[in-house]
Amino acid sequence: MNLTSQNWAALMPLLVPSVAACLIPIASLDKDQDTVKSVRAAMFGMALLALGVSFFYFTRIWATGQNVFFSNLKMDRLGQFSGIFVTVAAMMALLQLWDHLHHEGWMKGETLSLLLFSAVGMMLFASTTNLLMMFLGLELLSLPLYVLTATVRFREESIEGGMKYFITGAVASSCFLMGTVLLYGLTGTLELDGIGTAILTTGADPLILVGAVLLLMGFLFKISAVPFHQWTPDAYEASPHPIAGFMSVATKGVAVIALMRAFPGAIGLHTATGQRVGMALAVLAAATMIIGNLSALPQTNVKRMLAYSSISHAGYLLLGFVAGTPEAYTGVLFYLVIYLAMNMAAFGMLTAFGLVGEHTQFEDLRGLGWKRPVLGVAAVITMLSLAGIPPMGGFFGKYFIFKELVKTGHVGLAVLGVTASLVSVYYYLRVVVALFLEQPSESQVREASEKPEIQSFLSTTTVLICAAIILAGGFFQNLLVDGFAAKALKEGIEILR
Amino acid sequence: MGAWMNGSLQGYILVAMLLFIIGLATVMLRRTLLMQFMGIELMLNAANVALLAFARFRGGDVTGTVFYLFILGVAACEAAIGLALVIALFRHRKTTDADRADSLRQ
Repeated sequence: MNLTSQNWAALMPLLVPSVAACLIPIASLDKDQDTVKSVRAAMFGMALLALGVSFFYFTRIWATGQNVFFSNLKMDRLGQFSGIFVTVAAMMALLQLWDHLHHEGWMKGETLSLLLFSAVGMMLFASTTNLLMMFLGLELLSLPLYVLTATVRFREESIEGGMKYFITGAVASSCFLMGTVLLYGLTGTLELDGIGTAILTTGADPLILVGAVLLLMGFLFKISAVPFHQWTPDAYEASPHPIAGFMSVATKGVAVIALMRAFPGAIGLHTATGQRVGMALAVLAAATMIIGNLSALPQTNVKRMLAYSSISHAGYLLLGFVAGTPEAYTGVLFYLVIYLAMNMAAFGMLTAFGLVGEHTQFEDLRGLGWKRPVLGVAAVITMLSLAGIPPMGGFFGKYFIFKELVKTGHVGLAVLGVTASLVSVYYYLRVVVALFLEQPSESQVREASEKPEIQSFLSTTTVLICAAIILAGGFFQNLLVDGFAAKALKEGIEILR
Repeated sequence: MGAWMNGSLQGYILVAMLLFIIGLATVMLRRTLLMQFMGIELMLNAANVALLAFARFRGGDVTGTVFYLFILGVAACEAAIGLALVIALFRHRKTTDADRADSLRQ
């Protein structure tokens, strides 16, 4: 088989991290990896290099503006967008992991290898229109994540969270698989386009509808939309902070992009089935926003609060699907970029402040803002952006989506969305209040003075980069929207049919 | 009824759907991790039965048969990870009862 340079260009960004992921366990065979810093640095360097090469390939394909492909792997603009998205998230998670795993005192090479495999699975999941490849991508992204959740295995809660995530996740993938098989059996093709046209011509066979619903369940589980959201807080609380950030950002991002390929991409909005899917998504989006925001209010653990906040953000993202105009989808992609910066910064902040294990309550944050002022300011920017306060990027993400909702006549949903984000201000500001306005208790001061000073240069850097992205999204959003999100969408898939 | 018993497509699909629902019920209702885990395997294999039936009744479609092989591989990976997690949890708890896995509750 002869591969053209086009084929190689599509293949390389996935191939390099996979090879590195196979090589890293060899380095981690060394028994001294806990003691010898050079071995650990070599493992991290290799993983970072592989992701960097992959990122470089993606940006180079993006710059040439080609749509490269390799059989079922379609690296069109949308695929390249998700590739860049995933590699950036994975690199940030990697840098934060260096600090976090040192704080935990639990440094294992296989963690990095699994992270790389998961990133490859995500790239595959979002850059194909073949349901078989999509299923393989889904499994390749979720199986390592189950293990990553339980990676600090001396801690009981960690394994328990991993187990819960595994059971629910495996059920969701089985549903996705059954839906795929039913659609394949009744339409005779695994290509999303073919399935879309077959549904149009044959009408709504009840079994096809069952298949479509099962498929949609698989997507919604990964987006963590209500009612498939119960795993989210447990899994996020159990996993290391950087992994929780990576899970919340990258998994949700690629699931949204893959859903975009399936729902407006293959099944048009104006068909009967499309309208039905739109109705279902509208109801689920409303429920997701309400339940996510209300459950976040009484939380005492910052990580659980962030988990519920990520559920409510899934609601805002789904609202973009309800509006269904190209501008709304551009808004969704823009929001994903800002969301990457916001959540990687929010979870990275916990790592940078050196909070590990059980110490992720709101009380543990008290007064830390004054101790590390730069980091504190970055955290405030992140929280304001998550709450959607105007000059930040998060506001514009929501604004683009809500504007299209109003334009397409869904005023009620837009009002609900604005109300929900007003409610969310309360629990985001609790973090700011804890950081700057509350005094640490005496026992906390004593404990802090006994512990050695926290080394967290790398995670602090990532948090600052994320804060810069958030501010850039606020002040130069046209650049991001026109240059990145709109391009990905217009040249990636044709939404309007 | 007669057509179903004589190896028609509907019969296979019915069996597959039943297996799928039994698997789902097992995961939802049983409180032992190993049993829940077997339920998941049942759901995956229900999809396999349906897939092979469809492939056969489409004149031996190669796509379906290849897909089946991929699912087998994925199921094996899932089994490896699931069992590893069960064992890791058992080392801490000395039990595989899912109801006692409640330290992450709020």
